[in-house]
Amino acid sequence: MKILGPGGTAVVDGALAGEIRRRCGENVYLCVQCRTCAAGCPTRAFMDGSPAELLRYAQLGLADSCLQGNTIWYCASCQTCTTRCPQGIDIARAIDALRILAQERTDLEVDTRGQRTLNRLWMTMLKYTGRAYELGLVGLLNLLTGRPFKDFGLGMQMILRGKIALFPSVRRPLTMMRLFKNAQEPPP
Amino acid sequence: MKMGYYPGCSLHSTGIEYGLSLARVAEALGLELEEVRRWVCCGSSPAHQSDETLSIALPALNLAILREENQLDEVCVPCASCFSRLKFAQARMEDEAVRKRIERILERPWPAGVRVLHALEVVTQRIGRDAVRARVKRPLKGLKVACYYGCLMTRPPKVTGQADPENPLAMESVMETIGAEPADWNLKTACCGASFALTDPAVVLELTRRILEDAAAAGAEVVAVGCPLCHANLDTRQEGINERFGTSFRMPVFYFTELMGLAFGLDAADLGLPRHLTDAEGFLRERGLL
Repeated sequence: MKILGPGGTAVVDGALAGEIRRRCGENVYLCVQCRTCAAGCPTRAFMDGSPAELLRYAQLGLADSCLQGNTIWYCASCQTCTTRCPQGIDIARAIDALRILAQERTDLEVDTRGQRTLNRLWMTMLKYTGRAYELGLVGLLNLLTGRPFKDFGLGMQMILRGKIALFPSVRRPLTMMRLFKNAQEPPP
Repeated sequence: MKMGYYPGCSLHSTGIEYGLSLARVAEALGLELEEVRRWVCCGSSPAHQSDETLSIALPALNLAILREENQLDEVCVPCASCFSRLKFAQARMEDEAVRKRIERILERPWPAGVRVLHALEVVTQRIGRDAVRARVKRPLKGLKVACYYGCLMTRPPKVTGQADPENPLAMESVMETIGAEPADWNLKTACCGASFALTDPAVVLELTRRILEDAAAAGAEVVAVGCPLCHANLDTRQEGINERFGTSFRMPVFYFTELMGLAFGLDAADLGLPRHLTDAEGFLRERGLL
């Protein structure tokens, strides 16, 4: 553990907390570990840890413990923890910052539950076409995650009822490409 | 009354009934909805999970288009996820440094003061119960409805402006106005797991099973929703839920606009009802409501 240094003195590494603060303005040191977030989290049962544990790891600077498990990827962004936190921490926003950090770390083996692949596909699609094209997204996602027939029957039923657009629609592609390029420039 | 309309990607696809029924109901209520010109996707969850800047810039672009090209200052947003992203962008843009950066990225000025309203808010706050009541031709007498809000119509309240995010009652008031009977239940603001619909359906099956179970336990016959992602999860996954958990759900899931349209005496096919995966029309006929 990184927490105990030589002679049993506590070593707390503030780098991760600082990074979260810089990226989204949230102060993880406000967390008093009351676990209201964990108690109300609808996807807690699927997570390796819990939102409260993420905040504790972040307070202690244990970046790998925060980023490595599936916990951040099972956050549904339902905003329950953010709404109920008695310390007013926007926990869902802090978890978004952690997910962005995890996606930037190429040295870490992270279990993103396919979300990283979906995020990349979706954002690339937006950059060139301006809109999400569900059939293309699902098809590519299933191929890239090795489950080509996931929800195949369900998809067919929806297509038969005219609930899935068969062709992509393209809107403002030049504006979108320019917007994505502009967004990559670092803030002054 | 005229306002902008931001359907979002889902209403052209999985949530097509929502768009159809909203258009009919708006027409009946004398509300003119003008689509945001050549709108683009709000970025949804993939944007806020992967790029904070784009998660603000994409909704901001749509609001800038609304002001500049439609020359409107009010927009009706039926999808709870789009609604959330537009409202989040407005909240973030209150920070001057963020606003300047996003304006540079958009190469357009930020339209301060645009009113972003969820479709349910348009009905309750801009149209009002009296105008709705005046259109009712076939009240949905005795229909027991579980009003389901999910996450983003109400949370987080700092962003949505909801007075009671744990127990919202706006949809109940609309249901009462059209003659239905709202159920008193526990999971109206629980999460259906929409962000896992494409990546991890097991999460969706578990969360939606809990929601349907609680609605049934409270005596509800149908669920009413105001979000295409909630509808997709609750309506299309019942067969999967029954297979996995040995349950026997056959609970119709309606958009609140579909139920309004039915009460207005509009045609069920025009409202999109034949497109549901969990049979809605058969149920309504059995109940003598169609």
